Amino acid sequence: MAETGRLEDAVEFFSNPEPRCPCVLLLDVSDSMRGQPLAELNAGLHTFREQLVRDPVASKRVDVAVITFGTVVQVVQNFIPITRFVPPTLTTQGYTHMGAGILLALQQLQSYKKALRELEMDYFRPHVFMITDGEPRDEPEHVLERARKQLEAEERSKGVLFFAIAVEGADLERLRKLVVRDPIDLKGRSFQEMIDYLSKSVSALSQSRFVEDAQQPMPPPGTI
Amino acid sequence: MKRDMGTQSGSATVWRVAATSVRGAGHVRADQVCQDAHAFTLLSNGVLVAAVADGAGSVAMSEIGSALAAETAVTAIATAGTLPSVTDREGWKALLTDALRLAQIRLETEAEQRAVDLNALATTLLLAVAIPEATAVMQVGDGAIVVGDADGSTRALTFPLHGEYANTTVFLTSPDALETAQFGLHPPATYLALFSDGLQRIALDMATGTPFAPFFSPLFRFVAGEPEVAAAQTQLTSFLSSPRVQERSDDDITLVLAARLSGQEV
Repeated sequence: MAETGRLEDAVEFFSNPEPRCPCVLLLDVSDSMRGQPLAELNAGLHTFREQLVRDPVASKRVDVAVITFGTVVQVVQNFIPITRFVPPTLTTQGYTHMGAGILLALQQLQSYKKALRELEMDYFRPHVFMITDGEPRDEPEHVLERARKQLEAEERSKGVLFFAIAVEGADLERLRKLVVRDPIDLKGRSFQEMIDYLSKSVSALSQSRFVEDAQQPMPPPGTI
Repeated sequence: MKRDMGTQSGSATVWRVAATSVRGAGHVRADQVCQDAHAFTLLSNGVLVAAVADGAGSVAMSEIGSALAAETAVTAIATAGTLPSVTDREGWKALLTDALRLAQIRLETEAEQRAVDLNALATTLLLAVAIPEATAVMQVGDGAIVVGDADGSTRALTFPLHGEYANTTVFLTSPDALETAQFGLHPPATYLALFSDGLQRIALDMATGTPFAPFFSPLFRFVAGEPEVAAAQTQLTSFLSSPRVQERSDDDITLVLAARLSGQEV
């Protein structure tokens, strides 16, 4: 009779590269975030990293990028494996150019997916988490309209899962007009709770399989 | 849900089978049930029918869907009566397609009775029918079916296909499931393995879909050398639950192994 020990010793494993799970943090750093909120967001980025690095699957798969929007919109961190992510210290600046931020996030994702395809790397459907305490401000209407249309087209073609997370001060009605999925309402909750929700969501997304054509709602806060 | 009916006797060809579904490390951590299922049966005249089903991890009740799908498909073949001739490719395709369609109908009925969306029972389904002269396979979704020969060679009869995203796949509950199913009618093989996606990343070179022979060969030798079905299942479960496997795969794992014996080996 064969021994189990022999099976464990005898069977060799093929080592495939892990599929990539791209995740964009699209962060509002407009002036209203000045002070305590920004301090909590900066601390939150460290917590986010720590929680994902502790997850045996997410740590191997998640690639994170950080894009901020104030008056200036910028890629603070291009896609990098979560284990090598050094959380930046963000500073506040100006108005809320949310539309430009959305457009930049979608553009970064497009080029990252193209790069992954060229490397013949498998990847998951990317997700963007936009965290805001406000609403678009001092931004031309045509930019917002372009962002809204492009996001709608990307969501329709399943190019991205875009989640707006509304923290204290956010205008939910205004957000609903801009993004496809219903914003996640975390108003009245601490940043710590928000970050906890965020990292748990990314953990779950990095190991779940989707029914190809089904809508993929995020679990409501407090349930994961 | 499984049917472990042991090795058959009274015919020229005998199959030895070891089959198990184990919970993945991720599901253990999250305190979720095993969403994989398998079923197999040995018919007279050396026919083996085996199915593996993997419930979609993102939806509720998928463990019900996978068990029903595997059981229904195996029963459909087992009760189909006379099997097509080995040259009748279309006949085999129709037989396996009908078995999958019955599994779909079973899921639709279940969803209706439970008053839930059909997607709640989403599952993949892999089905193999091995007769002494041929191996017929059909697959919806990921996972793979691999065969091996006595000379140590292995080849994949189906592959874990996916679209742009590695974490989306077609399920039996998808509208185009049967139209896009993989089907093949192949020569008989000495060894057969059906497995769910939890195993595919350590068993296959995913870039090319090629089976990794050093993975399969020891398992094929193991099932051929273990005459007791219960003992074989225990050992296989213990192997797939071992830290060496679990640290490489977070998902549920199902593996159905079969070895064809003949003549004096029986």
